Amino acid sequence: MMNDAILEVKNLKKQYQTKNGIVDAVKGISFQVHRGEIFGFLGANGAGKSTTINMVTTQLLPNGGQIIYDGEDLTNDVAAIRRKIGVVAQHNNLERSLTAEENLYFHGLYFGMDKKLIRERSEELLKKFGLWDRRKDFVKSYSGGMAQRLKIARAMLHQPEILFLDEPTTGLDPNYRNILWDQMLKMNKEGTTIFLTTHYMEEVENFCEHVAIMKKGEMLAYGTVDELEKKTNTHSLNDVFLALTNRDGVDDRQSANEEE
Amino acid sequence: MDEKKLTRKAFWAMVQRDLLVQWRDKWEFVFRVAMLPFILILVYGYMLPTVGILPADFPTHMFCGMIGMSMLITGIHGTAVPVSMDFHNLREIEDRLLAPVSSRTVAYVKMFVGILESFIGGLIVLPISLILMGSKISIQMDASMIPVLILVLILTAMASAALGLLVGTIIKPSQVAAMFPGFLMPVVFLGAIFYTWHQMSPLPVMQGIILIDPLTWINEAIRAVMTPQITSLPLSLTMIGIIVWIVVMGIIALKRFDRMVYNK
Repeated sequence: MMNDAILEVKNLKKQYQTKNGIVDAVKGISFQVHRGEIFGFLGANGAGKSTTINMVTTQLLPNGGQIIYDGEDLTNDVAAIRRKIGVVAQHNNLERSLTAEENLYFHGLYFGMDKKLIRERSEELLKKFGLWDRRKDFVKSYSGGMAQRLKIARAMLHQPEILFLDEPTTGLDPNYRNILWDQMLKMNKEGTTIFLTTHYMEEVENFCEHVAIMKKGEMLAYGTVDELEKKTNTHSLNDVFLALTNRDGVDDRQSANEEE
Repeated sequence: MDEKKLTRKAFWAMVQRDLLVQWRDKWEFVFRVAMLPFILILVYGYMLPTVGILPADFPTHMFCGMIGMSMLITGIHGTAVPVSMDFHNLREIEDRLLAPVSSRTVAYVKMFVGILESFIGGLIVLPISLILMGSKISIQMDASMIPVLILVLILTAMASAALGLLVGTIIKPSQVAAMFPGFLMPVVFLGAIFYTWHQMSPLPVMQGIILIDPLTWINEAIRAVMTPQITSLPLSLTMIGIIVWIVVMGIIALKRFDRMVYNK
């Protein structure tokens, strides 16, 4: 039987050297993301989600384990993996001295896209995300919500096979959350795999096929929402999350603060 | 698209991006690049020799040093500050680091743009020097030495970009203000701008110390080409010295850049 995993993570580890010694940010986690699914990656602040995303998106070197895309180890050809992925970071990493249009234009060029195609895709995405009228404005004049939409448009520009979204709907008003989800579902229907971290449990519950929950660098649970509810004897993902991550909630918050 | 073609396309797109951003701040750039040489030339190249505090041939000594200094400082600043800001504050570099090319491409772009800025820095010094010290400068360069001069200037620009990348991977944005007194000032004043290496022979310890400054090698090389009447270190030796600086600083800078990219 063919393995339909677009991404396999095996025993992934990351350690940081801090003033107080070595911190295990990610402690040997494993999971799979299946081609064409929407995958929810959950955890309290400081659980190691962003560190994991940074490693699987080639932005951070792991200390151990394997990251496999389509059966190919990431380390074999990092550039080829980057063509397949689109990344929306949690923070604003847009080019503030450039306009929205220029942000997309240069991003397209970095990916070797034809200028005509960049223009067409940019127009389509800027219109979809309600930024067309502000396309010639410098990004430094954008509100948080506008910047968030532009980051997503930029990540979508080169039509990645798998799109990583680190808390993409944070800071968006309900209208644009809906627009974003419409876009993501449309892309997903067209075959794009979506890897999502969010604190909105209803988004995961409604749209994600598989869910992984992390705490303090460890993988606490992995499965469908139904499987996790059965496992924890709860009736909603929110309860699953609380049941799994809040067993020693005070410690959790402390470790989150320490990491931050 | 094959990998080499994609890398080329991404490289030039990143260069275009950096130049566009720089162009939007062009007056700040001109001010930043011109101000230090302008003040130094005004005081040491015009005022002091004119009133007799410094010898009349001092501007000739100083002219080559001003070119070297301006190119080195401009290249360092033009590479170091954006690298530091990009990694630590703005994180705008992340989009480029996610491009489907080697992350080293981003470092090479930074160095290439630093080289271009370094040349512009050298060009800006020329009119200032000619206006304030024109009649007092005695250039005795043979036309056959023009290709050598161009080579020396290219090496100077490369050294400035390599040193800029190294500094950019060391300092944090909050330390940029300290970069001038803590790093650039010693580089400028120990870099054989106002004196030659041979003139320091009564101070052998200082002669040794100033060799640690890449600007000394650069200025001695430019002097050897443009003002051969002034005793300088042998041209071949100074060029080897600059190349060693480029290689050593470049290797360390690229290793530190890789570490910043992958071990945040």
